[in-house]
Amino acid sequence: MSAASQTIVDIRHVSKSFGALKALNNVSLSMSLGEKVVIIGPSGSGKSTLLRSINKLETVDSGTIIVDGHDINAPTTDINKLRMELGMVFQSFNLFPHKTVLENLTMAPIKLKGMSKADADAMGLKLLDKVGIKDKAHVYPSLLSGGQQQRVAIARALAMSPKIMLFDEPTSALDPEMIGEVLDVMVTLAKEGMTMAVVTHEMGFAREVADRVVFMDHGGIIEEGTPEHFFTNPEHDRTKLFLSQIL
Amino acid sequence: MTETKKIDVGEGAAIPSRSDWGLFNAWVISIVGAVGAIIYLLLVHPEPYQRLLVYLGDGIVITFQVTISSIICACAIGLITGLGRVSKNKAINLVASTYVEIIRGIPLLVQLFYIYYALGRFLNVHDLTAAIIAMSVCYGAYMGEVFRAGITAIDKGQTEAARSLGLNGKQTMFMVILPQAWRTILPPVGNEFIALLKDTSLVSILAVSDLLRRGREFSSETFLYFETYTLVALVYLVITLILSKGVSIMEARLSHYVRR
Repeated sequence: MSAASQTIVDIRHVSKSFGALKALNNVSLSMSLGEKVVIIGPSGSGKSTLLRSINKLETVDSGTIIVDGHDINAPTTDINKLRMELGMVFQSFNLFPHKTVLENLTMAPIKLKGMSKADADAMGLKLLDKVGIKDKAHVYPSLLSGGQQQRVAIARALAMSPKIMLFDEPTSALDPEMIGEVLDVMVTLAKEGMTMAVVTHEMGFAREVADRVVFMDHGGIIEEGTPEHFFTNPEHDRTKLFLSQIL
Repeated sequence: MTETKKIDVGEGAAIPSRSDWGLFNAWVISIVGAVGAIIYLLLVHPEPYQRLLVYLGDGIVITFQVTISSIICACAIGLITGLGRVSKNKAINLVASTYVEIIRGIPLLVQLFYIYYALGRFLNVHDLTAAIIAMSVCYGAYMGEVFRAGITAIDKGQTEAARSLGLNGKQTMFMVILPQAWRTILPPVGNEFIALLKDTSLVSILAVSDLLRRGREFSSETFLYFETYTLVALVYLVITLILSKGVSIMEARLSHYVRR
């Protein structure tokens, strides 16, 4: 295990049920710093639950999750502090509608990192410039298109300078013509070396940026591998079936 | 409110969606009618109406005192109760829920008597204070339900987004949830304000000289029942109409970020 020092997320034997439904069944997955893992699978396969359990939006029933050396379920772990290192982007954007675009970005850094308003604004504008919507800094999110809102949501997560970015189906709620602009931002982020875990149905994105593709079904990891292996020569029948349906 | 100006309003923003013309006219007709009727009575029948209005003056002040103090206290109690009702802490939740159940199950007048006489017997508080406490305790429970509904109406994604940034539960509530909840909470809370104002007339049963009690005193001395209650009703109407307008103005201000 020479890579152990670089492991930033280590999920071990995690299970989770919602009533009778077994959402995660003894799942283990680890990610090293800088790695881009794309998780795919049919709906209800547990991929979102797995992603959401990394920052404890879902609490697992058993197993351990180590993030940056901290067991997220340990009573001594300050989950709020740990979440500052884990940026999250949601399918439904979840921007704060009562705050302007810039305030969406600066609220958490000002409150949690004690950043001055001037510094936070400067950083926020820089991030908005990066995602290509600097001109919308002072409007409210309700005036933006879905693609713009999602780019703001990415910038908001980046404003906390996280070590890892989690994307939960970031393009699934978007109109087709807006998917590209969001994926472009994500590709740029990946090229800059960000550690990313992405749940998505965008196979083009998986092919382009993933270091590793993970296929999940019925709460378990069926197969994982490089995109080349995955898309050209999948081993498992269920993977083949899924890919034939989606491609 | 400087941010408001920076919104670039799209087409159609000029169409008033909320200021429904029918409602606006109803309000204008009522306020003009009520104020006009009062002025008419004072000018055309100065006796007894001018004397009556002067006599009611003290009562109007007391009614205002009871209303405003009770609104402030009931809002504070309501916020605490509402937060308790959505709390994950079972003990806090149980206390808040029990309070609401008990208060909702007892008529306001009975509560008023009970709290008033209980406070009078064991704590020896001032009449006016006792009335305010009784009104606040009662309306606090109703407001608690309004706050709870407003808080739970906010999309769960807002909490998740705030928590995923590292905000704790309290920061999330006060920086993300409540600022949005005010908007849904305000119309029903405004209704509670108006109901509370009208229910302050019940304290006239106790030894509090509010607007209604002053009217009763005046009429029992002069036997001018019709004149007295005409003016009392008109004064209540004017106060209520002004309050309801104030609430709708606040509501419009809180909605500045909503796309219309």
